[in-house]
Amino acid sequence: MQVKVLVVDDSRFYRNRLCEILASDPNILIVGTADNGREGVEKTLSLKPDVITMDIEMPIMDGISAVREIMQKRPTPILMLSSLTAEGAQSTLDALDAGAVDFLLKRLDKLTYKKAEFSGAICGKIRALGGSSVHFRKQALANVTAEIRSSPRRANGDRQAKSLERGEPLSEKFRIIVIGASTGGPVAVQSILSALPSNYAVPILVVQHMPASFTGSFAHRLDALSKLGIKEAEDGDVLAAGKVYVAPGGRQLVLVEKGGRPLVKIRDSYENEQYKPSVDITYKSVAELYGKQALAIILTGMGSDGRDGAAFLKKSGSVVWAQDENTCIVFGMPHAVINAGLADRVLPIAEIAQQLALGG
Amino acid sequence: MPFEADNEILQDFLIEAGEILEKLGEQLVELEHSPTDRELLNAVFRGFHTVKGGAGFLNIIPLVEVCHRAEDVFNILRQGQRVIDGDLMDVVLKVTDIVNSMMDSVRDGEEPEPADAALLARLTDLAEVQATNTDNDKLADAGLSDQPQKRRDAEKDTVEEQFEELLGVQGFSAVEGQSQSNSADEVAAKSGKANDEITDEEFEALLDQLQGGANTGSNNSEKAIESKAVPPENSQHEAIPSGANSESPIKNAVNPETSNTSVAGEKNSEAKKAVIAKDQSAQAHAETSVRVDTKRLDDIMNLVGELVLVRNRLETLKLNMGNDEVAQAVSNLDVVTSDLQSAVMKTRMQPIKKVFGRFPRVVRDLSRALNKEIDLELVGEETDLDKNLVEALADPLVHLVRNSVDHAIELPEARLAAGKKRVGVITLSARQEGDHILLTIKDDGAGMNADKLRNKAIENGLLDPESASRLDERECYNLIFMPGFSTKAEISDISGRGVGMDVVKTRITQLNGNIEIDSKEGVGTEIKIKLPLTLAIVPTLMVVVGEQIFAIPLANVNEIIQFESVRKNVVDGQAVAMVREHPLPLYYLRNWLLRDVSSDAVSDDNSYIVVIKIGVSHIACVVDHLISQEEVVIKPLGALLHGLPGLAGATITGDGRIAIILDMPSLISRYGGRIK
Repeated sequence: MQVKVLVVDDSRFYRNRLCEILASDPNILIVGTADNGREGVEKTLSLKPDVITMDIEMPIMDGISAVREIMQKRPTPILMLSSLTAEGAQSTLDALDAGAVDFLLKRLDKLTYKKAEFSGAICGKIRALGGSSVHFRKQALANVTAEIRSSPRRANGDRQAKSLERGEPLSEKFRIIVIGASTGGPVAVQSILSALPSNYAVPILVVQHMPASFTGSFAHRLDALSKLGIKEAEDGDVLAAGKVYVAPGGRQLVLVEKGGRPLVKIRDSYENEQYKPSVDITYKSVAELYGKQALAIILTGMGSDGRDGAAFLKKSGSVVWAQDENTCIVFGMPHAVINAGLADRVLPIAEIAQQLALGG
Repeated sequence: MPFEADNEILQDFLIEAGEILEKLGEQLVELEHSPTDRELLNAVFRGFHTVKGGAGFLNIIPLVEVCHRAEDVFNILRQGQRVIDGDLMDVVLKVTDIVNSMMDSVRDGEEPEPADAALLARLTDLAEVQATNTDNDKLADAGLSDQPQKRRDAEKDTVEEQFEELLGVQGFSAVEGQSQSNSADEVAAKSGKANDEITDEEFEALLDQLQGGANTGSNNSEKAIESKAVPPENSQHEAIPSGANSESPIKNAVNPETSNTSVAGEKNSEAKKAVIAKDQSAQAHAETSVRVDTKRLDDIMNLVGELVLVRNRLETLKLNMGNDEVAQAVSNLDVVTSDLQSAVMKTRMQPIKKVFGRFPRVVRDLSRALNKEIDLELVGEETDLDKNLVEALADPLVHLVRNSVDHAIELPEARLAAGKKRVGVITLSARQEGDHILLTIKDDGAGMNADKLRNKAIENGLLDPESASRLDERECYNLIFMPGFSTKAEISDISGRGVGMDVVKTRITQLNGNIEIDSKEGVGTEIKIKLPLTLAIVPTLMVVVGEQIFAIPLANVNEIIQFESVRKNVVDGQAVAMVREHPLPLYYLRNWLLRDVSSDAVSDDNSYIVVIKIGVSHIACVVDHLISQEEVVIKPLGALLHGLPGLAGATITGDGRIAIILDMPSLISRYGGRIK
């Protein structure tokens, strides 16, 4: 079954290039194109695509407003194509807030030189999102249903979860929480952090797959939405309770001990490291420093980053929670951790937030 | 090198960027009038953004550099962190000029020169001086205060790597995608089971029900599709009732044990219908336009021209045959050919906006340089005309508009003194009139004084006092189209070298058009240009001189008179024909066009005078016979004849003979000596 894609971009030039790339993938069918957000919304309703690629800067209606309207009228997985600027990061995060599930940097020069890679990236994302399209829409419906009936349907994904004693403060067991996420992560991370009180008892590390130019904006935005103090982690930061450190994009966040206190160390990434920042690398470093006193949470995302790190954490006696399939945008990283038998609990995102808020 | 890029892609870029730049010119001038218009600022921002993107794709670095900076400037502007002033506008307009010239280089297959470093620096200033006010930079500065520069560089690199890496990750995503879709299906299956009887399709249908707005109840799929065409304002409305209506389907979804089996079935079939409709509309959406090389259009036009000739030939034969059936068939062919001809012509049409679009900028720059205040009004920008005409018109029109700004519109003070509004108005309009396009350039400036023009013409030795005194006012105005005529005392940078207007005139005449000027002192001046819709087919008067047929473009023909009704005279050694008391220079075309002239071959009395109009002058040309008025297709002359003065081309007549098409202005100026 082909993934039906709607391409929304105001540049005909870019649309054509994008269509050329997408058309080369037999699993992808371009059902239409639109040159502004308004047309994008209309064609979403009339053509019912499985996935939409969306530009941000467009006349008549911009990409973010279009995402918002599409999520209301016919929720569809949307892949944002963003530019590599601080401005682009802001808009992209806005779009993710509005309901877009993922983004890809719109690097046109890459199209010339690394066409194969770019094609792989975009087609891969679209296929993945296309696969989750029906799931995605059900979730959206479930949310609407929940709102209308005002009693949330219990997610049924936590069958294999061992139960943790209710009321036992997490902070007595754990001295650090470390969250790893990729596709769909920004919104998930945000929903967790915005639920936590300002006097949270432990420091929190966030490793979200994101380009370098994005993590600063991301941290800034989280800070504005949360009661906690949130910043992009910097080399030499001393971990403090109630503070959140977002791993900077393009580099790696590890912890070192200095004078008995854990310090943040930001190092450049090595050639062979696939993800920058990498959840595995930070998990492993946390395992070494905190032993069994860490709580690791693996959230929605493509791939399997976090699985190896989680293995280290488990070995040293720490606890690992994974986001459940129903609430994941892409059930990849949590799936990998669960499959490897490393997850102590599998929880819907809302419950993760609730548990952390209660426990802290 | 950018130009190893696929030519298709390059063309694609050039076309889009060209359109954007054209619009940019207008938008920038508009912006000067309403500098805080957010929509406009956004549009300009997007313009530079898109050009930058395309240039980046093709790796045209200089273009990327300049557009990138301009984009930054407009980003600041649209966030209200800077206000447009005249200087900024000058810089930005200069940027568009540079971008335009870069595009020209690219078009010619050359790597464009990098933009002037000073200009780039200026742009950077404009974008950055106040950029420090943005929250982002504050944040960045705060966080990176130790080694900002180094860090920034590092960031740049890592961004790059990061991206590469993101790409690397995609090896997974294909696999993940697969497993994802599997797991999605699983979930679908699972949740289907969990809810017991709702299938995917029903779910889809319910979703449509819930969110699609109008397709509630028993609407069929056509209606559903129709509802998509509802204008955006309405869709808001629809969303509300659908929200209200949606309650029951949801209840059905959640409590399936209630009586909804039939409902679900209904939804099911509806969903299927929707799927069919979806496929149809997907097909209907397929590209509706293709890009065609103009060369190919020219070829088609040429072939249609051939067809027209064959049609003309058949028309002639039809008369000789007297066979009704043949006559019928030929009549049909006639109709079809005419339709085909106009259809092909339409493919070559472009809105005159392409030319008009550059004028706001021209007027803006000039009036700024001259300290004048001028509004430019454009009327009928959507009027279509032949692509070649659009291109050929650009230069003459620019000249005329510059002239209006420079000569016609007075300085604001002078205008006020004359009791006019401070701001002058130039109106540029186009409209189609039958098979012609009428262009007018009208100003509310000082107007022209006929006597001044007369004197000037005498001064410059263009006319003797006597002939000057015989010109009526209108003819005086048209003197400005004569070579060597300029009234401006000091020669300005902008116009006034006296080489312009006659060139304009010549160009318009070459396009088979004509130009006229009318003016009223103190009120303003109006210049009218009449042009045929297309250049490829010309209405002509077919005449016979000696044994040969010649075609005179109808645009040059003023009237036809029987020679016998005209008095002949000689003035100053020049033969003249007295037409309604006006002496017109008289020439025998046979003297110019035939080899062995026996001047008595046809007696004057049986021949005709064709009064040719060239600018303000009328000239009487004697031809032996008249044939008819005919639309002919211009065929270029062979290499041997090409470029001979007086010959515009050739065509094939209805009876299969070849006729030379005359270029009357050049014929007369070559052989007729000086026309008075």
